[in-house]
This record gives sequence, C-alpha cells and structure tokens, in this order.
Amino acid sequence: MAEQVTYRSYQAEEYVIREEPFYLPVGDEIELFEAAYAQKLPVLLKGPTGCGKTRFIEYMAYRLGRPMDKVQGHQGNGENTGGGIPLMTIACHEDLTASDLVGRYLLEGGETRWVDGPLARAVKAGAICYLDEIVEARKDTTVLIHPLTDHRRILPIEKRGEILEAHEGFMLVVSYNPGYQSALKDLKHSTRQRFVAMEFTHPPRELEERILEHESGVPGDMARALAKLGEKVRNLKDHGLQEGVSTRLLIYTGRLIAAGIAPRRACQVGVSWALTDDPQIQRSINEVIYSIFE
Amino acid sequence: MTFPAYEKETQPFPSEFASAFREARDAATGVLTEEEFKAWADCGLRMAKRAGRSWEAAREYFKASPALLRTLPFSYFMEWGYWGNVLVEESPVIAETYFRVGPEVVGSLDPWEVAEWAKLGRGLYTGSRQSSALCIRFFEASGDLLKILTLSELQHLMLLIESVGESSAEEAVALLSLSREVLPSLKEDTRACLSLLSALVREDWRQARGCLGVVREALPRVERVERARFLALAERLAGKGDTDIPTFLQEGSRALGHIDGYLHIHVLNLAEALAGINGGVVLDFLRGVPQVLQRISVKQLETWHDEGVTILKENPEGGSAFFRGESARSVEMLERLSTGVELGRIKETMRLYCRALTAMDVGIALPEEREAQIKGWVAQEKAMTGEAMVYLPLVVERFNNKEDNFDWFKVVATHQVAHLEFQSFLFSFNTPAVLFPNLRPQLALGENGEARAAGPTDIHRFFALFQDGPLARDIFTAVEDYRLDHRVKVEYPGIRKAYARVQANALEERPLIEEMPAREAMVELLIRFGLQVLLRDLTVPEQYLEGVRTLGEIVKPLSLPQASVEDTAEATIRLYQVISQIPNEAVPQQEGEKSNLPEEELGGEDMERMLKRLLESMLLSQSGEEQPYRSPPRVEYRGEFSPELMQLLSRLKESRTERGAKGKPMSKEDMERLLANANNLDLQAEQGELDQEGIFVTEVMKELGLEGTPDGSRPFNFPYDPTYDKEVEGNPLEVKEPFSFLYDEWDYRMADYRPRWCLLREKDMGEGDASFYATTMDSYATLVAQIRRQFEMVVPQGLHKNKKMQDGDEFDLDSVIEAMVDIRSGTTPDDKVYWRRNKVQRDVAVVFLLDMSASTAEAIDESRRTADDWDAPEDPLEYMFWLRTRRGEGVRRSYKRIIDVEKESLVLLCHALETIGDTYGIYGFSGYGRENVDFYVIKDIKEAFSERVKRRIDKASPLQATRMGPAIRHAVSKLEGIEARTKFFFLISDGRPQDRGYSREGVEKEYAIHDTKMALIEARQKGITPFCLTVDKEGHDYLRAMCQDMGYEVLADIYALPRRLPTLYRNLTR
Repeated sequence: MAEQVTYRSYQAEEYVIREEPFYLPVGDEIELFEAAYAQKLPVLLKGPTGCGKTRFIEYMAYRLGRPMDKVQGHQGNGENTGGGIPLMTIACHEDLTASDLVGRYLLEGGETRWVDGPLARAVKAGAICYLDEIVEARKDTTVLIHPLTDHRRILPIEKRGEILEAHEGFMLVVSYNPGYQSALKDLKHSTRQRFVAMEFTHPPRELEERILEHESGVPGDMARALAKLGEKVRNLKDHGLQEGVSTRLLIYTGRLIAAGIAPRRACQVGVSWALTDDPQIQRSINEVIYSIFE
Repeated sequence: MTFPAYEKETQPFPSEFASAFREARDAATGVLTEEEFKAWADCGLRMAKRAGRSWEAAREYFKASPALLRTLPFSYFMEWGYWGNVLVEESPVIAETYFRVGPEVVGSLDPWEVAEWAKLGRGLYTGSRQSSALCIRFFEASGDLLKILTLSELQHLMLLIESVGESSAEEAVALLSLSREVLPSLKEDTRACLSLLSALVREDWRQARGCLGVVREALPRVERVERARFLALAERLAGKGDTDIPTFLQEGSRALGHIDGYLHIHVLNLAEALAGINGGVVLDFLRGVPQVLQRISVKQLETWHDEGVTILKENPEGGSAFFRGESARSVEMLERLSTGVELGRIKETMRLYCRALTAMDVGIALPEEREAQIKGWVAQEKAMTGEAMVYLPLVVERFNNKEDNFDWFKVVATHQVAHLEFQSFLFSFNTPAVLFPNLRPQLALGENGEARAAGPTDIHRFFALFQDGPLARDIFTAVEDYRLDHRVKVEYPGIRKAYARVQANALEERPLIEEMPAREAMVELLIRFGLQVLLRDLTVPEQYLEGVRTLGEIVKPLSLPQASVEDTAEATIRLYQVISQIPNEAVPQQEGEKSNLPEEELGGEDMERMLKRLLESMLLSQSGEEQPYRSPPRVEYRGEFSPELMQLLSRLKESRTERGAKGKPMSKEDMERLLANANNLDLQAEQGELDQEGIFVTEVMKELGLEGTPDGSRPFNFPYDPTYDKEVEGNPLEVKEPFSFLYDEWDYRMADYRPRWCLLREKDMGEGDASFYATTMDSYATLVAQIRRQFEMVVPQGLHKNKKMQDGDEFDLDSVIEAMVDIRSGTTPDDKVYWRRNKVQRDVAVVFLLDMSASTAEAIDESRRTADDWDAPEDPLEYMFWLRTRRGEGVRRSYKRIIDVEKESLVLLCHALETIGDTYGIYGFSGYGRENVDFYVIKDIKEAFSERVKRRIDKASPLQATRMGPAIRHAVSKLEGIEARTKFFFLISDGRPQDRGYSREGVEKEYAIHDTKMALIEARQKGITPFCLTVDKEGHDYLRAMCQDMGYEVLADIYALPRRLPTLYRNLTR
C-alpha cells in the first residue's frame, strides 16, 4: 500500500517562498532592505515580538527573488525560479555552538562524513540567512558571523581548513528584541556595529486594521475594534505590562472570532490571559475589552 | 586544708543519705571555705536529725547542693537552706519537694528572690492536709511557671489561687496544676491571660478553670499579634458579667479562625466598640462575622456594624437580633452592601483602564476632593504636574448587582477620560473643522480687521471671540460633552447600555427647566441633549420645543464619529449667536403638558429660518426682568472640564522643557505676554462670575512668581533656586585627612572636568537599633518569603552545565563523538570532552547608593494618605501592610518618611542578596557644598553581612543636599576594586541632584544633571552597568536627560519600592 504523504519536506536551500506573503509596509523599510541587499550589507531587525519582523523577511525573500525585481548580481541558480531567494531561519538559543552553525563531521559506519551546518549552506546557496533572536546565542557563537558581515564576506571552516566565500546572493539578517530588561543580554558593540539596523514597531492602528482583516478573516468592523484594543493595551506597556500585545496575538484572537468564538471571550483568551499572569492587570485589560466589544 | 569528714554523723541514716552527703561534700570542698563548709554541713545534718523522716528532706538538700553552690552566692544559699529548715519544721514532705526543685527554680530567679519564693510557698501552708497538697503542688509547678512568669507575677497568680482556695481547696489545686500546664504554652500572651484570670476570680471564680482549659486551644486560632487583645476583650466582658467566658473564648476564637488573620484586628476593633455598649452581643457579633464577611468587605462590615450599633443603642433586643442576623434590617443591609462596589477596591483597575484608554497617567479622586483642590494649594501642586484627574464616587450602590454598579464606575471614568482620548484639549484655533464651515478665521479678524482673538493658548484665543465668556464656555462644555457622549458610545459599544443608564439617571437629576430664565434654559437644553439617547425622546415643556428643534439641528453633526473639537467650537459660535440674543428673563409657565418633538419635524428645514423662528418665539414668550446669567449645575458624571487651564499648563510645561533642553529661559517678552493675557482672562472672568479657571490661572501665575501686575509694570523676576550661589569660582581642593578623596567634576559649560573639585569623606554609618531590621522582616514576612523564592530560582542558572571542559564530572556525549570523528578522520582530537557543573558561578557585584538628602525626610504625601484611607488594597498582602501602617499611625501618631521606605527596601534587598550570594555594598551620601560630600558606609562591599550592618541600616537618616556626582564616582571606585564578571551600580534617590554651588549662574539644574550624567557614563566606561531608581514623580524629566540610554525607572508609588527593588534587581542581573 502506498504511504500517503501528508507533509512536504524541502532541502534547506530549496525552501523558497512561493506565494507572495501578505505584508503592508509601514515606512520605507522595503526600499531600505532592497538597497541593503544590493549593497550586500547585513541587516539587524529590531522590534518587539510579533510586530512582523519574520513576515517582513519572508516577504523580502519572495520579493527579491522575483525575476522582474531581480537585484543585479544575483543569479538564480535554477532551484528558486518558483519564488524568492531561499530563506534559512535559525532560531538562536544559548546552547547553539559554532559547529551547529558551520557544520561538523559525522560518523557513518567506519567513515566520517562532513555535513555543512545551516549557515554554511546558506553561504553556499546564496540564501538569506535569518538568525532569529541573536541575543540568545552565546557570545562565542556570535563572533563566528563577524567575517561574514564585513567586506570579506567569508566563513572560515576551521575543522576542514577551508574558507567559504559567500555566494553573491547571500545575505545575513539578524533580529533582536531590545525589550529585554536584562543588562546581561545585550548585543556586544563589536557585533552590533556590523549591521545596518531597521527598527520595527507595532503598526499604526489603520495599518493594523488592514493586517488583521486580511490575516484573520474577520470583517472590517471587528478588525477595527481589535486594532483599537491593540492600541489601548499597548498604552499599558511599562505600567505593569512588559510588552504590548503583538499583532500576531491580535491575529490569533481574530481567528478565534472568525471561528465563531464570542469576541469578549476570544479577547480574554488571546489578549489578557496571554499577556500577563497578574490578575490586576488582567482585570484592567478585560475592562477595556468589555468596553470595546459587546 | 582538711574538712571534717562527718562520717560519724551520717551513720544513723540510710545509706542513700550518706552517699548523697558524700557526693555533695566532694563538690563543696572545692568551692567553700572551711567555715562555710561547716555551716553548710551543719545545716543539712541538723535538719536530718530533727524528726523521723526529715532525713529525706536533708538528703534532697544535699543532692541539690552541688548545683546550687555553683550558682548561688553562699549567703543566699544559706538563706535557701534556712527556709528549708523552716519548712521541715512544718512538714518534711513539703521541705523535701522544696529542696528537690531548688536547682531548677533558682535558675529562673535572681539570688535575692529565692527567699521571697520560699516565703510564698510557706504562706500557702496552713497546716491542713489540703494546704499541704497545694503547697507541694506549688513547689513542683514553680520551675515551669517561673520560666514564663516573673516572681511578682507568680505571687499574683498564687494570690488568685489562694482566693479560689478559700472557696474550694480542690478547685485551687486543680487550677494550679492547670496553670502550670497551660500558662507556659501561651508564651507572650501569658500576662494577658493572667489578667483575665484575675478578673474572673474577682467576678466568678468558677469560670477560671474552664477558661484556662479552653484558652490553649482557642488562642492559636487568633492572629498572633491580636491574641492579647482578644484576651483583653474577654476580660472586659468578664467585668460585665453577662457572658460565659469559656464559651466566649471557645466560640469567639472559632469564628475568628474562619476569617483571614489580617482581618482580626479590624473585627476586634468593632467587637471592642460593641463591648463598650452591650457586652452580651459581642459573641453574637463574632459568631456572625465569618458569614457576613463572605458577602461584604471589611470596610462595609464597619458600615453594617455601625448600623447595628445605632439600633442597639435604642433597642437592645433589636440590636442583638441585628447582630445575630435575625432582623430584616440586617439582612436587607447586607444585601445592599454586598452588591455595592467601592471605589477603593477597583481604583487600581480603573487607573490602569484609564491609562489604557488614554496612554496617560490619570489620577483617581473623589468628587469632594475636587472642591478642595480648586481652593487649596494642593490643587496647584496636582495641576502643575499636569496629571489629569478622574473623579469617581466613593461607592456605587444603585443597582442590586455588582456588575451594574461596577459598570457605573466604568462609564463615568470612560466619559471623563474621553476628554483626553478624543482630544478636547488639543483644540487648535487654526485647524479647520471637519463638518462645519469655518467661521473662526473671519471672526478672528473682527469688523475693523484688527485681531480680536488673543490669548496665551488657542482655547483662550477662541473664548476671546465672545463677549460673554462664561456663556460661551458653558455652551462649549455642554456641546463638547455631547460630542464625547456620542463618540464614546460609537467607540465602546460594550458599555453602551450602562452608559444609557448613567445618562438617564443624570437626566432625572437635572433641575426643573421651567424655573429657569430663558437663556439658562437654552444652555440647559444643550446639556440635556447629551443625556438623551435620541433627541426626539427628550421631554420638555411646550414652549421649548422650538429650541429643541433648532439647537438640536445645530449640534446634530457632532454626534458623528468624525466630529472634532474644532467642530464643537464652530457649533459653539453658532449656538452662541442665537442664545446670547435671548434675554435671560423668566419664561411664563404655559398651560399644557410636557411633550416630545414630533418626529417628522426633525431636520430638513432651512437653518436660518429655524433660527429666526426660535428667536421670535423666545422673544415673544419673555416676561419679567432680565436676570444675570448663571451656569446651570454641572452633570456629576462628566467631571472636571477646563480646557483653558489644561492648555495653559501644557503651554507652560512646554516652555519649561524647552528651557531645560536648550538651557535658555523663555524670553521675558514671552512671559510678559502670557502674563498680560492671563490677566485679561482674569478680568473677563471677574466680570462674569469668578469661575474656577480664573482662580486657577491666578494661582498658576503665582506659582511662577508672576502674580498681580495688571499693568505689567513690575519687573519680571524668574524665581531662582535658593541654593544658587554666586561663588562658583574656586580652586581645586586638597586632601587633608585620611579617608578623604578628591574627585573631578564635569562642567558642561566648559566641556571639561574641574580638577580635584569635590572633597568626599568616607565615614562609617553610626549604629542604630537592629530591631528595625527584625521589624521590617516581620512586617513584610509574606513579601520576604516571596522574594526569597524568586531569588532562589535565580541560583540554579549558576549551576549551568558547562560543556567542553578538560576535566569534569562526566563525558559530554557530543564532544566525545566529535573527538572520535576527529580520530577516525585523522586529525588531532580536542581533549575537552567533559562537562562539569557549577564552573561558571553567578559572578555579580553591585553597589547601592542611597540618597540621604534632606528631602527624604518628607512625610509621604500626607494628602495622599488621607485619600488612601478608603483605599483598602484588595490584595491581602498589601492590605495587611496597609493596615499595619495605618494602625501604626494611629498608635504612634507618626508617619512614614521616604527614607523609611528606602530603608525597608534595603532590608529586603540585603536578605535577597544574601540568598543568592552576590557581592554587594550599600552606601549613603549627602553633604553640603563641594568640600563636604559625606559618604556613609552602611555595608562595605568587602564586608560580610552582620548585626552591625543591620544596625547601620537603621541609622540612615535624612541629612543635607544631594551632590550625586562625587558620590557616584566614589561608589564606582569601590566596585572597581572588586573582581566580578558583571558589575552593577544602583542609585536610589528621591529627586534631582542639587547642592550649594552645584551650579553655574542660574543653570544649576542642568549643571548638576550633566555632572551626574558624566559620572554615570564614567561608570559605564569602567564596565559597570548603572541604574537609577527614583521615587520622584517628576523623575521622568531629568532622568531621561541624565540616563539617556542607561536604565532608569520612576516609581509612581513609593510604597511599591520594597517590592519593586528586589524584582528589578533580579530582572537586571538575570
């Protein structure tokens, strides 16, 4: 009996965004990013969680790979004609080691075999390598990317005594959430000053309204109310809330509503409980919810 | 020296006597002189010979001797022996017991009390068998009792027991046994219990034993600190004689046991009040409280209690039924109270709610406070900070369910903050309206083309267009509220229903429009428009129908969500044109009922014709004399609306910050113009009625030192800081004594350091009382436990598993595989294949620098404290703290100062830091002038935590000025000497840096801030992370400049400091 395939798997280099992701520009971030890509500059994305950093990268990967927009110098290598530039996302954590990024020898029977890590693969394939939450990575891992971020654009592979020169299309993007109130988790200046930084914030109410409408499928009125709620809840940042509600959470809330959950209840689940454990603040947020939603 | 052996003398007695003697003799030879020895031995032997069984007593005498000879001076020892001899004569059995318990009892007594104690026992013996039993029991119990009682208290107890003994000897013995068993277990409450016992013995001795029997079981149910009071209450009731005390103790404590401990004080307060009136109902009251408290709050319990007391005074029967919950009145009252919502419980929720709606900090106050603020100086203080206020009632009990009552609060708050949210105060004269054609530009020019609209702010300019200022303002206010009411209902559909309820209620409370003169009636109509959901539902007397129709037509566009405050202004112009033409005369009452506007008549007509018709109809109906115009009463829920003041304040604030930023004061001309305009406004206001804005403006001017020069002739004086000092020039200082240090100071004008400019003296903080530490730990017990838990969770991160070590606990599988791969592939493997725990320890060093300037002596905002009286926090922990401070105030009449809270926070922090073992130092600073910066060591960074540190914390007290720069530099130098991976510097202050001569000609604030900022930057350059924490509400202003990208935090509420500081520290160092 033939096994039914219920999933799709890709080689990391071949994973390209085939459909245009929904992205509404807030300012000139698209032009900036295109310019950075053309000039082979590494980019740092700053901003609170869930404000659209990852979506932006996906969108840019798609957009930059489109034939008409093809940036000079980038040669499509056959695999990515369907959509954008390959996008390789690496979530950083404190146990991430250098060999996790660059590659390592593996034992196979009695033999050893070298396997490239995701960073090396991205460098070779000319992908956009997106290191999410770079501050979480250990500092000794972080310095590894330094030679990739300046004019050299190389990745030394110590174990093999090789030096990889980056593909024309390779681009390094890191993201960073400055909201952490921890002095111990800050980017070192030597790392920080290798990137052009683009700052993201929560989208303004009108834009967020459109995003919500599109992403969660709720009607315009409801999207407007949700966006209003988002704005009001964000006013509580630093007044008990460490971070305002993310667009992502609002979208989830909208989806719950679209699925038939009563708005008040959906907001409670998707906003007030998701944001905080402090009953006092939960209550205040709930009151805002009850005012906005019937 | 040889002592006589006395072998012969001991022979007649049994061998155990001889052996006891021998042992005692051996012990005695070492400590006694020959003479003393003789006296000692004779005493015992004489006793032994006295009677048949007296040798047994003597044996005990010898047995006890070794221990007693060591502890008692010989003369007192002999006194003890003498009294034993006396007892032997009475009864050898008693004497035997007396001697036996000697070592145990004497240990709890002072030497000179021994004889007293013996006499006390001796006095109990009257020769009877019962008295002998009592006496023996007394000596046996003495050891246990004296551990907890003083001798005089024991005497007291025995007196009671003796008096019981007069009635019943058995009872007395039983009571004594019970006392011995129970009293020591009561610990600190023993005295209270003793006092209760004596009351009982006086009143009804039969209850005494029962009381002792239950007290041990009853007391633990009562909150520890309240137990003595509980007993005192019982004593008081015992004095009245109509309560069975054992039952009271038993059941009263059981009831209290059902209530949270922190409420006991409150309940006991009420019970005491009740005891003063009628002792019989106290127990009824206590029994009922647990059920009652499940339904209402403590605060409400008071109300309920007061009601009961009132009844009780008139009718004892009714009162006691009330407290038993058997009267209808009691039930009904509970019902009402339990559905009411108190502001205190929801204040914090409302504050955050308002914050969410407006993105601004909004204060919550009672309507009564508004009046007080407008008149008193407090008003300016509050107003000057630009904090918007929302006025909410103390309690809402209008509906019979909590939700509706709570919604009432919400509606009121939502409307009041709508002024902020929908930008009533951002009125701009030149911004065009959205829905109305703009009349303002042409009006502003006036007939002759000269500018009519003048004023310090846009809203002032707008009102300057009108001759009758108060009327224009009333119209503007009514119409703006109309706009907001509609806007809120569109934006917040969730509260629409509740909103309509509040409006309907406000409408009912409006004064009779029939009694108003015509012009006022018109304004009243406008107010009512806002309170009615649909215009056609508005019921007015017949003669005002025309008014409703016309005015309604004008304001109608404002109900659309896109209407702006400029639209309100345009509507105001049109309404004013009509209303100001209507003479303010009484309108004759017309026959006929009130009626509604026929629906079809609404809208559609030509505006001009309608206006004309309205004017005609109103002119026609006039009769009587023209009256001065008075504003119709305000609508309560709409709160305070004074756009002129708000705009003026924000204008002043802007000019202040501009000055701060550019270091250039607002030009003299600007200020004078502002002043002149404000005076215009004043005069205008006085022509009409002296309204609130008028008063406010004068006060604001006063605050700036600008008051009272209508002609502007007085030279303009900007109030300089009193610490301003002309002698800023000076020479570098020199160190003349040990423990003095010189620091440079940054002069931002020169953009360079002034070398060796400040002389800092390091001193040890004096030592105070360590009990401050203990008390703080005690009163924050729950918080302490919480903090400890939080901090303990930090430690395991130090136990991080470290991979790739050259040696360690175990192989690291990943590394080993890698090494194997290397070997197979022919390269040299890495030998770091182990992992190990705990190699990287948490390595944090921190210095806390405490501002001890004189300003920390300020009592924590007294006005706020009174406001807080009804603001009982909902959180039990906070409530307890609140209650304690409140009670403390009541008892000692003292108040908390900022420094006290700072000190308490330090205590908690010390405790927390000891938990995780970070290296830390605590210092304080103050001083006067650059040559006198005092730097106090509370805990040096290298010093271990000790009792001395505890005592030093207590000593921290407000001193002089705040020259932060050198203190920071010195504290940083302390940190520099420490090896640590991460270093922090924490500054805890209550205000901006300032000191004599910390200045340059009138720019003192900037100078001090720049120097402080430079000191912080220096710290950072040395690898130290600085953080500033202030409790100054205005802290945002200068901290932003001072810290820029460095961390800082402003605590709005000083009471949050003890909780916030450890949390902050933990988060920062995580």
